[in-house]
Amino acid sequence: MASALRLFASLLLVLVFAGPGLAQTVNVYTAWPESLSQPIFKAYTAKTGVQINFIRLSTGELVARATAEKNNPRADVIWGAPGDGFAAAKEAGIIEPYKTANIDKIPAELRDKDGYYTAVSKNTLIFMSNAKLLKEKGLKAPTSWNDLLDPAFKGQIQTADARTSGTALTRILSIYYAFGKDEEKAIDYQKKLHKNVQVYTKSGGGCTVPASLGQTTVCIAHMPDAMEAKKKGYDVVVSFPKEGVAAVIEGVALVKGAKNREAAVKFIEWTFSKEMQDLLDKNNVYMLPTLPGASIDADVQALMKEAKLLPVDLEWVGKNRKRLVDRWINEVIRD
Amino acid sequence: MNRQAVRDPVILPTAMVVWAAVFLFVLYPLGRLLILVFWNEGPSLDAVRGLVGDWTHRAALVNSLVLAALVGVAGTVLGFAFALLALRGGLPKWLGRAVDAVVLLPLISPPFTAAIALIFALGPRGLISYHVFGLTNVSIYGLSGTFLSETLTYFPIAYLTLKAVIANIDPNLEDSAFSLGARRWRVFRTVTVPLAIPGIANAFLLVSAASLADFATPLILAGTKFPVLPTQAFLQITGLYDMRGGAALCFLLLVPALAIFVGQRRWIERRGGSYVTVTGKLGAVTRIKSLSPIAITGLGVLCGAVALLVLVCYTLIAAASLVKGLGADNRLSFVHYAHVFSGGLKAVRDTLIIAVLCMPVGGLFAVVLGFLVARTEFPGRRALEFAAMMNYALPGTIVGIAYLVAFNDPPLVLTGTAFILVVCYVFRYSLAGTRATTAVLAQIDPSLEEASASLGARRDVTFRRVVLPLVRPALLAGMTVLFIRAMTAISATIFLVSLSWSLVTVRILEGITNLELGQASAFSMLVIALVYLAVVLASLAMRKLNAGSLGQAGSLLGG
Repeated sequence: MASALRLFASLLLVLVFAGPGLAQTVNVYTAWPESLSQPIFKAYTAKTGVQINFIRLSTGELVARATAEKNNPRADVIWGAPGDGFAAAKEAGIIEPYKTANIDKIPAELRDKDGYYTAVSKNTLIFMSNAKLLKEKGLKAPTSWNDLLDPAFKGQIQTADARTSGTALTRILSIYYAFGKDEEKAIDYQKKLHKNVQVYTKSGGGCTVPASLGQTTVCIAHMPDAMEAKKKGYDVVVSFPKEGVAAVIEGVALVKGAKNREAAVKFIEWTFSKEMQDLLDKNNVYMLPTLPGASIDADVQALMKEAKLLPVDLEWVGKNRKRLVDRWINEVIRD
Repeated sequence: MNRQAVRDPVILPTAMVVWAAVFLFVLYPLGRLLILVFWNEGPSLDAVRGLVGDWTHRAALVNSLVLAALVGVAGTVLGFAFALLALRGGLPKWLGRAVDAVVLLPLISPPFTAAIALIFALGPRGLISYHVFGLTNVSIYGLSGTFLSETLTYFPIAYLTLKAVIANIDPNLEDSAFSLGARRWRVFRTVTVPLAIPGIANAFLLVSAASLADFATPLILAGTKFPVLPTQAFLQITGLYDMRGGAALCFLLLVPALAIFVGQRRWIERRGGSYVTVTGKLGAVTRIKSLSPIAITGLGVLCGAVALLVLVCYTLIAAASLVKGLGADNRLSFVHYAHVFSGGLKAVRDTLIIAVLCMPVGGLFAVVLGFLVARTEFPGRRALEFAAMMNYALPGTIVGIAYLVAFNDPPLVLTGTAFILVVCYVFRYSLAGTRATTAVLAQIDPSLEEASASLGARRDVTFRRVVLPLVRPALLAGMTVLFIRAMTAISATIFLVSLSWSLVTVRILEGITNLELGQASAFSMLVIALVYLAVVLASLAMRKLNAGSLGQAGSLLGG
């Protein structure tokens, strides 16, 4: 709290001395949809007067773009993208370590051990099913990974393609951890699951619309995708596999050679304030806050009671991600 | 052909300026990208090594070629059927126009729109597949869906190309065959088709090339079972964070793409010599009777079914833009349009500004390049023509990344400006204008220019006062195509939009990935309306220039 106060004071000082005439800006690349990111950025501008310019890109496009711009970075901060994107960004040498003042409060599994990136929020995998189709087929919403192997679900499952989507990586990790970190068992299971999959979508949330409209029964996606669909009025059921799902991070990092470094750092600091962390709930982002004690949506809380979250070893993922994806391409989807 | 020699005082400097532009905006970015891919503290093939072992990449190359061939054949057949029906079917004028307007829709709408519309119509629980025919286990993903969607999207290229060709076949030739006692089928087989063959080959190559470069349709419809090359390259870059590998895949795609373009250009050149269409000797036009009523009925059913399918698809898009949430809350609502005209207005304005800026710049570039290629002789003329079409032949993703790599740091910093978007479009989509210019010039006797020269006019005066007025239709066609492309293209520009300049197509893609289908549909409808407006204005202007119908402008969309 003290550090938050100190931060607030220093922000005030900056405001007083910089004055509104010298409009400061921070350039942000984000993978979050505008509907989720913009209200948060606007809140920051309202509070500090610092303008947040942002471009929304898919995670892969974001990393490709920042890599191509390496010699003359256009972004100051990468804010709101899945952890594997940051692992790639770290490897490509486009971000630099920055440890927030609040670092001690943030659990170790939610940040890079070298401080290159830190979680803004925590995201979980869910099963989202079309209620009407379940009823038509006389099925219950799946509550185990093995439920998805039921022949009744043949051609009725959509989920993300591991070559384009961080969500797919969450799924692969979830299965890996759910099967007791036995990689062979996990691959074997995925081969069976593959037989029931109708199509692998480009984006993580790509199956949300089809499941909402009844083009497919089950969509394996992230929590926000399903909650958004619910909010829009589609009749969908959210469920979790009892074996558990991986909790993955949505991170933030400072771009190496950022032109507005000072302003960028302040924005990152604000990310870990209770004020911003509470906004995740207030703005219906439907992700879990990183900072312990920040508020959580009642619906999400109720749902999370059913969920078994399996902690993810970020370092292991960083080292093994490519192999897992390669095996998915060369063994799972090859038939 | 009579060509102007190098010693002409205007040709060489002009050629040098064009060469410099092509070097700077085509060869330089590709060169920077090649270095990025194949240079890792010394020449290196690391980027390629990882790709060879991956079965999806090998399958992708084969699949791309198979798909391009299939779409080429189906698109050409369908295009031929439509052209025959339009010209020989005796349809009422209004019906012909209505059919034209409908079948053009997929070609001029933003990418992804056609594929998404097809899922709405024919996917699982689609309007046609489920609600009309009651099918529950339809598979639209894979080869079949991609093939269908691409055929529907690109056959209008064949249709418009073939329409122009068949329209130019003198009906009196068919008449002569009839009067010699030939039956209808024999006339069709031995007169009509052979005369249309160069057009058919051209149409096939144009449609195949469009399919080969398409990455949006397979991205939505191909799934994992049917990988194709442009999509693989995109996935390699954005999914596996492997820019070098993805770029290497794109260079692989360059081989068949350029082969098609070289082949197609040869057809055009050959046609230029022996298929002179303006002879001034056309006899009295007789009533055309080469199609039997049964054949016309058959064609009518086929074409009607296709047009109906397209109409249903786009009605669904229109419906999605007008209700709260298609399938969940089907109440009429204008919220999506309200969003387009409030939050989305900046993107619309930016896109329009850029599209309008592209027109004069790209139009002039296309005409000058076309003139240089068709009428003059200077060192490196062929190479220039080849270099100028490279940005078109390469998948957009790679052109976008090459631009980003090349123009983000000195000597030339352009990222973040509108200029980089304009330049990207101009050097990617001027090919249509260039082609139109060479085609028009092939029909005009060089003696016209010689007359001007012998009267003492300087080369630039001749160009301005004689050539330019003659190629006005080509200029107009080129500018229209540029406008349409600037309004609808996405693959290259997704990497070039900036904090200050955004584009409508990027918003559409965002809407599709974020479950905002209503918004994406509303943006798409707006783009379609603007493009139609441009096409109508262009065809009115064409008519004023006395330069044939809209068909010619449209046929250039693909090439």
